[in-house]
Amino acid sequence: MILDCLGKRCPLPIIELAKALADKPIGFTLTLLSDDPASQPDLIAWSRMTGNSVETSGANTFQITKLAN
Amino acid sequence: MVSITPSFQSEPRLHDAARMALPHIFEVTWPDPSKLGADSKSAALLLNEARETFASHLGIRTDEIHFLGEPNLGFHLGLSGLMSSQRRLVYSNIDRMEVFAVAEGHTSEMLEVDPNGQINFPELMKDDVLALQLCNRETGTIQNGRPKSPDLLAGLFVDATASGTRIKLPANWSTALWDSTAWGGPSGLGVFAVSKSANWSNPLPHLDGRINPGPASLALIVASALAIDSWVADEKNLAAKIAAINSEIRSYISSNIPDSDLAPGGADHLISASFLYVNAEQLVTKLADKGYPVDSGSACSSINMQPSHVLAALGVLTQGNIRLTIHHAITFEEVKEFLEVLSQTVSELRDK
Repeated sequence: MILDCLGKRCPLPIIELAKALADKPIGFTLTLLSDDPASQPDLIAWSRMTGNSVETSGANTFQITKLAN
Repeated sequence: MVSITPSFQSEPRLHDAARMALPHIFEVTWPDPSKLGADSKSAALLLNEARETFASHLGIRTDEIHFLGEPNLGFHLGLSGLMSSQRRLVYSNIDRMEVFAVAEGHTSEMLEVDPNGQINFPELMKDDVLALQLCNRETGTIQNGRPKSPDLLAGLFVDATASGTRIKLPANWSTALWDSTAWGGPSGLGVFAVSKSANWSNPLPHLDGRINPGPASLALIVASALAIDSWVADEKNLAAKIAAINSEIRSYISSNIPDSDLAPGGADHLISASFLYVNAEQLVTKLADKGYPVDSGSACSSINMQPSHVLAALGVLTQGNIRLTIHHAITFEEVKEFLEVLSQTVSELRDK
């Protein structure tokens, strides 16, 4: 699954990410595209706060794995 | 106008000691203190008294003090005056943007802080000039790290703009900068110091020994000296209250507002808190509408649409961020009312 948040400003990418993951099982993965300057630091903080995994895989591209409900 | 609800923005109200004396101060500070004549002599006396007041509260000599009409010019004066082509400027990633701007023009090294905002200093060399921020103005982070051999440095610039009189100057300082608003003095006045033992040269175009084109307003200098005297006395009495209010706010937020992220603490008068899934611009606007002006480090509430470099460096969430400054006059009741409004506003915005 690709969640395209290009052009969207904070906090929209992370709100849409949380919505996309809400009904998904643990272990579900998706690719988030976001060019908001706050996304890089905020995804790291979001990962720490929620227990989900985030990896930067390229420019404006993040691999997300759901690890917690 | 006296507001009924308190402001949590960083600017303190002008201290009563300065505010009430201002009409008189303006009557007696019009002469040039460097000229001859009775009026000038009185003005010179006021300037000297002010110097002595600052010297005693800031722990510096009267002849090390210079007054700046543009406080932030002190970052350039304090750092560039210690640099040369052989030297390297060492600073941290939570320093002020003004420090970053000076670093652009020199050989430099940016140190990264740990999640508590602390610098683990590498071995510094004799050609290194260090910028040391005693307290961060956004999060209140107090820098406890110190270079291993500060006496070996080519220069040590101390940013005391957020700490004011709360934290003592470290030994071996070369240049230091304070902002008059730190003690409830008038805005538009910086206190800049060059240590007598510093290897400093004026980076601004100059012909004589004066450090800046100046002169800074004598009226503001005298008003600020009155403010610092009273503020230091107030701080002694009110420090315990401010500390208690700080822990009240921190514990309320962490136990009552889910998905909140508090920046690591430090100075008691500053708190930075972020709320996941909240738009900071809407939060700041709603809080202001309800009578509580606050600051924010989020991208959507900044002019350049960039998130606070301090929050990002600390790994703190940058979205939905508010910055609270706890001023002397605030009461527990006001804080409790504010916290309820904050909690309610955060959940309203999340439900939208």
